[in-house]
Amino acid sequence: MIKLNHIIFYFYYLFQVNVATFALLFSEIVQYCQNRVYSVSELQTKLSDMGRHVGNHYLDLLFVREKGYRRETKLINMLLFIKNNFWKTLFGREADRLEHSNDDERTYYIIETEHLVNRYISVPKDKGKLNCAAFTAGIIEAVLNGSNFPCKVTAHWHKGTTFMIEFDESVITRDKMVEGK
Amino acid sequence: MGIFSVYIINKAGGLIYQYDHISQRPEAEKTFSYPLELVLKLVDDKIVVAFGERDGIKVGHTLLAVNGISLEGRYLQTDGQDAMEIIAAPENYPINLKFGRTRLTTNERIMLASMFHSLFAIGSQLSPEHHSSGIEVLETDGFKLQCYQTMTGIKFIVIADPKQTGVEVLLRKMYEVYSDFALKNPFYSLDMPIRCDLFDTNLQQVIETSERQGIGNV
Repeated sequence: MIKLNHIIFYFYYLFQVNVATFALLFSEIVQYCQNRVYSVSELQTKLSDMGRHVGNHYLDLLFVREKGYRRETKLINMLLFIKNNFWKTLFGREADRLEHSNDDERTYYIIETEHLVNRYISVPKDKGKLNCAAFTAGIIEAVLNGSNFPCKVTAHWHKGTTFMIEFDESVITRDKMVEGK
Repeated sequence: MGIFSVYIINKAGGLIYQYDHISQRPEAEKTFSYPLELVLKLVDDKIVVAFGERDGIKVGHTLLAVNGISLEGRYLQTDGQDAMEIIAAPENYPINLKFGRTRLTTNERIMLASMFHSLFAIGSQLSPEHHSSGIEVLETDGFKLQCYQTMTGIKFIVIADPKQTGVEVLLRKMYEVYSDFALKNPFYSLDMPIRCDLFDTNLQQVIETSERQGIGNV
């Protein structure tokens, strides 16, 4: 299973992977997880775990190739990096929108109307609110956690697919100090 | 008037998908006086015209409604009265009857699909040429049935107007939609009935595009 994950993160722009290949591989991942769980939320957690595994391995590759060994310290820059650069290398285009929550200053949203991993998947009614983008949420979570922005990322069905990123309080406080606010 | 319906049969001969594009079926409603000139008979729990074609009512048409009340099989939907009895009694006349082309039930469709599957196989065996394909086109004056069998044994069948063009292209596009939204769906098991929303939406789009382009070439 770990070898499978290694194949997935070869998404760098020089070597384009056929979307059909990825879709079939991802379909197998979902079926693999489904056979090992007993509920929908467990399935989503398992997909998220797989994503986290990929994200952890992908983080170094990402920073070497894209950032030129520089590390992001400001939260907003990191989020913009995720929305544009990270999304471009993984999915071939940038995410649609990045939003800050009105109620909670710790929460940010990345919104995409048609997410690549969900393109060919029709979730049956008995699977409820399952969103296979939980896999991508895991990748984002691992990348952010590994860059010292501890958070939790979940995928929801809202305006298409929305990734809800909830940062730890420490991140917001630290960010405010860095800005000199 | 374009594409009538679409069937997908798996390699065992079972129907896995069916879609009727034209749901509008020719219906004829007429008021009759006693005695009824048509001869009706009971076929498979449905009342069918056996003799007496007139005014758009053809042999084989089913009785759909009596005096505006739709029928369920041979009984009225509202109070369960037997329609045959109502028609037999002279005091119910003048009576308004609605006839139309029979709507196939799911079971009937499944039977027809497996019958076609067998005929397809027989077709390839009967051919004087070696390595002949199965039935590709079946044409009547009312419709033209075209079939495309993939290398994996799935048959895509389109029933369309005889004048409709571009059906081969439509069959290939259907195969693409199937390989995208059914085969890449982790919740779809092979050879099972296809119940994927994205598959339905995209297939209907493909059919509509093809219908528009095809009619233009007539």
